[in-house]
This record gives sequence, structure tokens and C-alpha cells, in this order.
Amino acid sequence: MLSKKLLPVLLVGATLGFNAAQADIKIGVVTSATGPIALVGIPQKNTVALLPDSAGGEKIRYISLDDSSDPTAAVKAFKKLIDEEKVDAIIGPSGSAAAMGVIQFAAESGTPMLAPVGTAAVVLPMTEQKKWVFKTTQNDDLIAAALIEQMQKEGVKTLGLIGTADPYGENWENVMSGLASKAGIKIVATESFQRQDTSMTGQSLKVLMTNPDAVLIAAPGSSSVMPQTTLKDQGYKGQIYQTHGAALDPFLRLGGKATEGTILAASMMLVLDEVPDSAAKETATHYVDTYTRIYGNPPATFGGNVYDAGLLLKNAIPAALEKGKPGTPEFRAGLRDALEKTKEMPGTQGVYNMTPEDHSGFDERGRVMITVKDGDWKLL
Amino acid sequence: MNFQIAVLLGQDGVTNGAIYALLALSIILVFTVTRILLIPLGEFVTFGALTMASFQAGEPTALMWVLLGLTLLDSALDAWAMRERGFDTRKLQIIGLKLGYAAGLVILMHSLTLDQIPMFAQALLTMLLLVPIGPVMYRIFFQPIASAQPLVLLIVSIAVHVAMVGVGLLLFGPEGARTQPFTDTALSLGPVMLKSQTLWVILVSIILIVSLFLAFERTLYGKALRATAVNRMGARLMGISPDFAGKATFALAAFIGVSSGILIAPITTLYFDSGFIISLKGFVGAIIGGLVSYPVAAIGAVAVGMVEAFSMFWASAYKEIIVFTLIIPFLLWRSLTSHHVEDDE
Amino acid sequence: MKSLNFQLSNIQSRSILVVFLLLVAFAPMIMPVYQITLMNYIGLYALVVLGLVLLTGVGGMTSFGQAAFVGLGSYTSAYLTATQQLPSWLEWASGSPWLALLAGLILTGLVALLLGAMTLRLSGHYLPLGTIAWGISIYYLFGTLSSLGGHSGISGLPAIELFGLTLDKGEKIFYLIWVVLLAAIWLVQNLLNSREGRAIRALKGGQLMAESMGVNTFRSKLVAFVISALLAAISGWLYAHNQRFVNPSPFGLTMGIDYLFMALIGGISSVWGALLGAGVLTMMKQWLQDWLPVLFGSDGQYDHIVFGLLIVFMMQRSPGGLWPILMKWAPVAFKPKRDLLAGTDASPELARRTLPNSGDLILEARNVTRKFGGLVANNEMSLQVHAGEILALIGPNGAGKSTMFNQLSAVDTPTSGEVLFQGKSLSGSNSREVAKMGMSRTFQHVKLLPTMTVLENVAIGAHLRGENGVVRSSLHMERLQEGSLLKEAARQLERVGLGDYLNEEAGSLALGQQRILEIARALCADPCLLLLDEPAAGLRYLEKQALAELLTRLRGEGMAILLVEHDMDFVMGLVDRIVVMEFGQKIAEGLPEEIQTNPAVLEAYLGGAD
Repeated sequence: MLSKKLLPVLLVGATLGFNAAQADIKIGVVTSATGPIALVGIPQKNTVALLPDSAGGEKIRYISLDDSSDPTAAVKAFKKLIDEEKVDAIIGPSGSAAAMGVIQFAAESGTPMLAPVGTAAVVLPMTEQKKWVFKTTQNDDLIAAALIEQMQKEGVKTLGLIGTADPYGENWENVMSGLASKAGIKIVATESFQRQDTSMTGQSLKVLMTNPDAVLIAAPGSSSVMPQTTLKDQGYKGQIYQTHGAALDPFLRLGGKATEGTILAASMMLVLDEVPDSAAKETATHYVDTYTRIYGNPPATFGGNVYDAGLLLKNAIPAALEKGKPGTPEFRAGLRDALEKTKEMPGTQGVYNMTPEDHSGFDERGRVMITVKDGDWKLL
Repeated sequence: MNFQIAVLLGQDGVTNGAIYALLALSIILVFTVTRILLIPLGEFVTFGALTMASFQAGEPTALMWVLLGLTLLDSALDAWAMRERGFDTRKLQIIGLKLGYAAGLVILMHSLTLDQIPMFAQALLTMLLLVPIGPVMYRIFFQPIASAQPLVLLIVSIAVHVAMVGVGLLLFGPEGARTQPFTDTALSLGPVMLKSQTLWVILVSIILIVSLFLAFERTLYGKALRATAVNRMGARLMGISPDFAGKATFALAAFIGVSSGILIAPITTLYFDSGFIISLKGFVGAIIGGLVSYPVAAIGAVAVGMVEAFSMFWASAYKEIIVFTLIIPFLLWRSLTSHHVEDDE
Repeated sequence: MKSLNFQLSNIQSRSILVVFLLLVAFAPMIMPVYQITLMNYIGLYALVVLGLVLLTGVGGMTSFGQAAFVGLGSYTSAYLTATQQLPSWLEWASGSPWLALLAGLILTGLVALLLGAMTLRLSGHYLPLGTIAWGISIYYLFGTLSSLGGHSGISGLPAIELFGLTLDKGEKIFYLIWVVLLAAIWLVQNLLNSREGRAIRALKGGQLMAESMGVNTFRSKLVAFVISALLAAISGWLYAHNQRFVNPSPFGLTMGIDYLFMALIGGISSVWGALLGAGVLTMMKQWLQDWLPVLFGSDGQYDHIVFGLLIVFMMQRSPGGLWPILMKWAPVAFKPKRDLLAGTDASPELARRTLPNSGDLILEARNVTRKFGGLVANNEMSLQVHAGEILALIGPNGAGKSTMFNQLSAVDTPTSGEVLFQGKSLSGSNSREVAKMGMSRTFQHVKLLPTMTVLENVAIGAHLRGENGVVRSSLHMERLQEGSLLKEAARQLERVGLGDYLNEEAGSLALGQQRILEIARALCADPCLLLLDEPAAGLRYLEKQALAELLTRLRGEGMAILLVEHDMDFVMGLVDRIVVMEFGQKIAEGLPEEIQTNPAVLEAYLGGAD
């Protein structure tokens, strides 16, 4: 009990001490480095070490917190960063649900938030609160549109959908059902599964019974593998599509032969040596190389989303510094305004063009069509 | 639904059910001997699979350091206990042996080209590495509180599970793993294709289940081991100390857990945190068996696998709800039929 | 665990409470904002853990499902206040968090009643496993129902408004959370110090005894279960409107486990342990996150590992939690003391039963036979007990006395034959009903609640003589009657000679005294028939004399007494008639002096030695 009362005093002291000692720019990072979506969070957390260490002549200090894949903990972490650390901007959280939960707190305190999450709901429809949110991933519908286009090209008329029972799968189900009907593709089966399921026979049989021309699997990370292997084992011959959630090397490793011929739309990070040279390619190559040098393995695209957030901030900070000193509301407001004005900024994922209406800012340059050939990613 | 689908789902249910049955049996075994509900059993499954996978990727897992560390702690505790009970050369030898084993394993791990050795050797190595963690776990975490209230035992069991999931993430990372199948052929049974790995799972499970059953229902030593829970004095007279009984059952449970993990690793993706839900389903089976009956638990566990497979087909979104709601009537039935007059909880 | 600290009543401990309340009241002014945020979470968690203290710590029922109840409270409010298109039959409740709270409490109460009715009969390990089962099911249901926003959840909940104030900031909702928490602590404490509370406290280790004192233990379990569910639902409601966003993950099994961790760390037997546990666990997670990266570097995630190991260590060292340790260290002056009898002067004496006329037939066994499989434990046993008479049932070990005792006290049902109590057949009755009819008993193996005071133990005997329920007890509206019950308990204790031990822990008494305590407890029920199972065992000579005097006095008042006893000297000088059993049968019946010379009895006792 004693120390419980003492702690706030100590913390106040510590915070005051820090504030007096340095007037750096402080950026908070909240990732899910543990818990169910650690797969997304770990490369993101690792990327913090690669983020720009200064911008506009000011040093940047990063404070990285883990939310254990728990939205409540994400809210706590945000409040800690905002109230105690008085950060100027926050990158994170990793999870879509958590991101939805923290928006109001970022907005209330006037802190720009750069969310590396998939769901478009964090920036759409634009509201007074979401003005403070910027999204560093391609909106799901951007990827979905590319997939649909490809499906039309291949004459797909009926589609089976298998998604994870989580916000990721759920969001894809929504996006696809809208886009597919417009494109004249009929979704004949929709099945869901848990990431930890040890078998998917039931779902996959259910999909096979409708005999769709193609199947789309919407699952983040390695959980995208099992539906595919099960379908293949049961002799499915149609085309299998994956989302950018599968754009990880473990997908190839775990899926083995079953992944051959898969088509997915994702950022160019997977096929860097095939895409034509561009500023974005340069950025991505630099990121991948540096990450690989430090951690010994190439980063998952999720990490790139955090890296881009850092680049966006770096890009916006000089303009914001004209509005106020770091640590002030003016600076944060300036940062938000500057982020919204981002134009033609190359990131690892594509090129960012923010507008007051679009806080994700990707165009078709944000994704490429990729297929798996001979056990490796190839540009389609 | 046609016949072919029913067969496929049935085969799926039996495969998963066989694993649940194995786990249910070790849960009952551990419970009857130590009164502990072994929640971390699932972690042995995942650790087994993930270790195997990392061997196949040619990487020695850092788990050996965990084993070494735990063995050191275990030896320190033993040495400390010796300080009180007096010097004992035999005990000292055992401590030396244990430390030598752990150290030897570390050396072995580093000297082998892990992805080149045959799969059987990889599995053996996985066993050698993981099974000793069972008894060491009992020694460090449970032995000091062997006679505590059931609730305390349960909480410690859960806390150990929490820590082990953390270790799992640290050692194996967040990506799941799969291993190569034992044999890569498929059997066609009429219109249905059976993968040979599922046959492996069912076959090995049955062998293990039957030998467990025989060992504990038919041999005097097995019966005595089970009797320790009821009658610690009686077990002592049989020459079994409760501490030894605890370690022995934990070793056996670890062995079964790791075997299950190695068996299913080729047919599914396992993650560092998959263990809990798998062992919970084992628990469902164990509950159906009333936490005492081996055959009923085994049948119950297979039933769980079947229910799971078919509800996956009929209503995939409601699968977990169906499986876990189904045990409530069983719990009621078990609780009402088991005569529980006294209230010493 | 020395004592349950339910009531702070002396001046020092009250001043601690005042200081604590002042600290809470001024916290938002003196503490940094983030600490207030943490305090809010601590308050929310403590509310749930308080329910667990009542349920698990006091009632002995382990639940992993509390998080699901938190979810019910949260989701009801989220659904009603933040869904655009409510079904028409629910429109009345839309938009207002307060109506939603009401709806949430009703829903949670109903669900808890249903789940409780199904699972609270479970014994041993089945109950915790059962709570895991429905806890998981409800959690998955939240994620599966698309009207609840699926896995993505529901956002845009309104802030709570109170007296025109919008509680949209942490430091504003802080007061609501803590007022609710402290009120809940007060209510639970009141409840535990009442007739209903004693019944709940008897659940852990004294169910058989409580039933024979007329307590409906299943109802008490249900009461504790529903209260804990409602506390969780209130916490969930506050959580939802503090967070203003809900999704399924905070209501899963992980959180259910965390709540239990909190309760055990704080000290699961005391209401203040709930607060302490919630505080320590919340702060510990913060510190781990702050300090572990400093110690280990930031490239690994060690907090779960360290956290799990700390819990193990804690359980190994102090399974009772931190609160008892804190109480042990606290200076004596600060330890809460209590005198339950203080302020009971105004309470009237309880009404008493009119005893039957001396010589009336009270209890009659007619040809009672009880078989267990092939074993005949009682064969054609018949006996009669009259008002104003002491009958002894004796016999060598294994003669079937205990089985007979169970038949007479309606714990067990005869295979054939019947038992009549005051002319009514007991077939189909349970021990609770016979207690109501005026039969009261003691146990061969003493059954009392060692951590409760002597007075409280005896007051359980008076359970049926009060009628105040949970609500009145929690609000302390039953103090007058409660005083009467306690005074009656004190009177009976004086009567049996334990008047000096009223506020001692029952477990600290000597075995003989514990037996006497059981008689006082039985008397507290105001019976007309007393069944005593070996009352003199373990008593010293003087104590036996005092007991004999007491029983003689009771007989004089018209009480019917049946005792099962081994001690021949005690029996011979005291009782009016004796029934002797051997091999489940009556072999003799008569006056003590006849029995002493009966050859069959001598044969039975001396094994045919001539």
C-alpha cells in the first residue's frame, strides 16, 4: 500500500525531471507485441528502432508500449502516453478493435494518431474525432478492388469466402460482399474459423459443396495457411485468392506446395526486385535491408506500416515546428494539419497523398498483384 | 450432407478426438495422483510441435537453456532441502546426474545438424528435451504446496500456464508452425482420400491410450500410484513417495502432451498460444469421464472431437459455443450422480 | 488467515477509513491524470473482485466466469445506447445509460439465476470447470452476434450524465466509480454481518450443518452468485461508458482468470482484499511494463512470464493473499475489533415456541430398516422419545447408531418403516424441514466455522427465527432483529457456560468447548427435541457434570432429548431410559438399572466374556 501511494509522487517527479531536461519530440508507439496478434505487433515493435531519430533539426524520442493484444490495455497505454508522457503523436495500436477504442482519447487530447491497422473504419466515414487519425495501411477496399478486378479478368462468377472470426475477417466479409455484387460475382459460401482451430475440414467442405470458381481467404498472418492446405487436400481445383494478410514469408514456408499459384494483392515489399524503380521502391528496399541486418530476417509488411508512419511524421514535423514547440497543443495541431497535407510521399507501402477526406492516402501504387510461383513471390 | 462428407467429417472428428482423448487421460492421471488440474498440458503439446518444427528448420531451440535453468533451480532446491535433512550421497549423485543430463543435451543440440537427422531422431530429441520439464515443473512449482487447497493448486496451475505461454512466444515467435508428415502418402477409401498422417495420429493414440489404461488399471504399481491421492500413507508403504508420484505423473503427462504435439504438427498449424484451447477440450473429455474413469473420458473426448467436426460444418461461427455449452449437462449429470455427501471444499 | 475483517468499529480503524476516504475524495486534485486513469481501472476491477470475494472467498464457489457478467453489463448498455436501429420493443430504453444499467442488471440477474440454477449444484472441481464452460460460451457469443458489432465491437457510446454533469473525462467518472465501489463494499460488509451473511459464510465447509439449522444452502449459494454477477455487471456498465467502446476481448477467459488472480493476491476472504488485489495487480502490470525493458532490454516480452511466476511465488508463500499479512503487521491499535453485541439493548427477546406437555410423544421410530446394498445397517428399529425425557441410544462400535441417528434426523431415508416427529411422518422431508418443525441436533464430528466468532457460530442456530432478507440486511435495516438474534445466541452461550468466549474465534476453543458450543447452537433454534451425537466425548469431568446439569434443566423445562453416547457413567446417572443396539437391531430397552443387568447387553459389550 505504501509504495502504491509513493509511486505517483515518484512518477510525477520523474516526468517533471524529463520535461525539464529535454525538449525533444516525443512519439508514442503502442503495439501488440504479445497476445493473439503478436504476429502483427512484433515486427511493428521491432521497427521502432529503425524510425527516424530526428526531423526538422529536433531529436525524436520514441516510447514503445505493449498492449498484449487487449483493447483495454491499448486505451491504458494511450492515456499513459498522452497524460503522463505528453507525447506529440502516437503510432499504433496494432489491432483494429483497439484502434477503434482509442480514437476518442486521441481526439480529445488533440494528439495525432497513426494507425497501422487494416480496417477502413478508423478513418471512414470522416468525423470530427477521426480527423486526428491517419492510417498507414491500404484500405481493405483498395486491395479488395484489385482482387475483384483480377477475378473479373479470369472470369470468376462464383466465390467462396473463408475468413477468420476476428475484426480482420469480419471487415473483409463486409467489404467483399459490397464489391462483389457490384462486379457481378456471387458469393456462394461464407465461412469463418478461429485462428487457433486445429482443423478446418468442416468449413472447407461447406465451401466445396457450393463448388465456387474461386475462393478468397481473408486471414491475418499464418492463419491464412490452414484453409488453403485443407482446400487443396480435399481436391479443390479452382483459383485461391488471399488478402494482404497472407503477405508474409511464413505463408510460403508453412503452406509449402499448397500455396503454389495463389494470387494476392499486397504492397510491393514482397517483390521488390521485380517492380520497376521508384522512390517508394527505394524506401522499401532500404527498410527491408536495414531490418534484415538488425533482426536477421526480413520484416513482415505490418512492420512497414509503422515505418511509413515514422516517415509521415518526419515529413510533417518541419511544418509543425513553425506552429509551436514540441510538447504544446499548437505543435500537435500543426502536426495534424501537416500530416493532412502530405503529398506524394513515398513510403514502403506506396505513395501517400492525404486529403481532409482521405486519411489513408493510397492509390493503386499502394498495391501490386502477386502470385506464388516455385515457392516464391512473383509479380503477376 | 452426403456419405462422403459424413466420412470426412467423421475422420476429422476421430483424429482430433484421439488427441483430446490422450490429453483427457493425462489430465485424469495427474488429477487422481496430485489433485492438480494440469492446465499447462496444452503448452507441452504446442512446445512439442514448435520444437519439432524448429529442428526441421535446422535451428536448435533455446528451450534447452530453459531446461538447463530449471534443472539448476531444481538442484538448488534439492540441495537446500538436503541442508535441512542432512547430507546424502545418493541425492548428490542424482543432482549431478540431472545437471549432467541437461548440460549434455545442450552440447548434443549444438553438435548435431538438426535438419539432416532422420525424423525419428528429431522426435526423440524433442522428447528428451521436453519430457524432463514435466517433473522439474512439479518439483519447483507444485511440490512445495502439494497439500494446499484445490483452489490454490488450480491458480498455480493457471499461473504456470500463463508463464509458459510467455516463454513460448519468446522462444518460438508469433508465427505458427507445421512439420513434415511422417509419411507423405494418401490412402483412398472408396471416394474418400485419407492422409496417412491422420492414420498415424489415430494409430499412435490408440496404442498410447491402451498402454496407459493397462498400466494404471491392471498393474499393481500403477494402482499404487493412483492411490497416492487417496492415501498418501498407503502409497508410502508401497514404497512410493508422494513427491515421486507427482514427478512421475508429470513426466508421463509431459510425454503424452509432447507426443500429441508431434503427432498433429504435420496436419495443422500450431501457435505459441494454441495450447490452452486444446487442453480445455481435453478437460471437457476428462469431465465427461468424471475425472476418474479412463474409458468414459476417452469416449467423451472422441465425442468432443466429433461434435466439433460436425458443428464446424453446420455452423462454423458457433462451433466453440456448441462445444463448451455441451459440457454443462454432463457436468450436471456427473455432479448429481457422484455421491458427494461431505462438504470439505 | 486469522479473522475475517468485516467490520471496522473502533476509533482507530475508523480514522484510517476516514483518511482513506479523504484520499479518494481529493485524489483527482492532487494526482496526475494518468494515475486517475489507473485508479478508475482499479475501482472497476475491485468491484468485480468484491463479488469474487463474496462468491469464492466467503462462499467457497470458484468462478472463472465473472468476466462474462462484466460483458453482459457492458454489452447491454452498449447495445441500448449506441445502436442506431433498436428493435421496436426495446426503443423505450434507447439512449439513456441509466435505463441501460437497469436493463443490464435485470438481464444479468436472469442469466445468473439460470446459470446458477444449472451449475451451482456442481461439487468440487466441476463448478470451476462449469464456469469456464459458460464463460467461454458467452464470450464467443459476443463476437458472433452481428447485432453486437461482432469482433469489431460497438463504438460511440455516450458518456454517463448525472445531475446535469457529463462524466466524459476520467477525473469525472472517477467519483462515480469510487462511490459505487465504496457503497458496494459497505453493502457487502453489511450483508456478511447479518443472518443471510452468516448463511453464506457457512457455505464454505459447513453446508451439512447449515442445512440442519434450517439454512437453504442452495438459495444462499444462488444469492452470493447473483450478487457477484450484478456487481460484475455494474462494473461492466461503468467500464463501457468510461471506455465508450466495447469489443469482446475484455470479457474472455483471460480476464476471468485475472479477476481470480486479483482476488487471491489481495486476500480472497476479506472485502478490503478485493481492493488491495485489484490495486496491486493493476500497478504490478504497469511496473512490469516500465521496468522489465530496463532490466532485460526491449527485444523480448517478459512481463507475462514474470507475472505468472510472481503469482506462483505468491501462492507458495502466502496462499491467503496480502491482506492477512498486512493485518498481521499492522499495529494492534489499528486492527479492527468488534463487539457484535454493542447497540443491541433495544432489541426485544425472540418469541419462543410453546413446548409440548411433559410426557407427550415427540419422536417415534416404527420398524425402521435401512439397507445399503446387501448390508442391513438398521433392522426393524423402533423407539420413542417423550417430552421431558432423556433417552440414550447406546451400543458398541458399528452397531448402526449413526445410521439410526441419520434416519431420525431426516438426513437419510429409511428403506422401510417410518419416523414420526410430533405425529407427522418424516418421509420425504429434509433436515431443513425438520429443523423448522423443532428438531435440532449436534454432530459427532464437531461442525463449526473455525474463523467465525463463537457468537456468530451460535447465531446460525437462530437462522429460522429471523426473516430479514438480503436487501434489508445489506442496507442494515434489520438491526433490531439482528440484535435479537445475537442476544439470543449470547443468552444460550451464557446458559451453557461459554459466556466468556463470545468474541473468540470458534476454532480457538478446546474440543470439549466446541461440543458445548454445538449444543448452544442447537438450543438457539428453540427446539422441542434435541438430538445429541456423543456430546460428552472429549469433555473433562467437571465439564461433563456441567453438561449433565444443563441437560437435566432442559428436561425439566419439557425438552425431549435423545443422545447417542459411549460414556456409560455419563449416561447411567443422567438419562431416563436407554435403548441398546447391536448389529443394527435393538437388543434391549429399559431403565438404566435394568440395562446394567441385562445379560444380552453384557454379552454385547463384554463380547461374551463370562
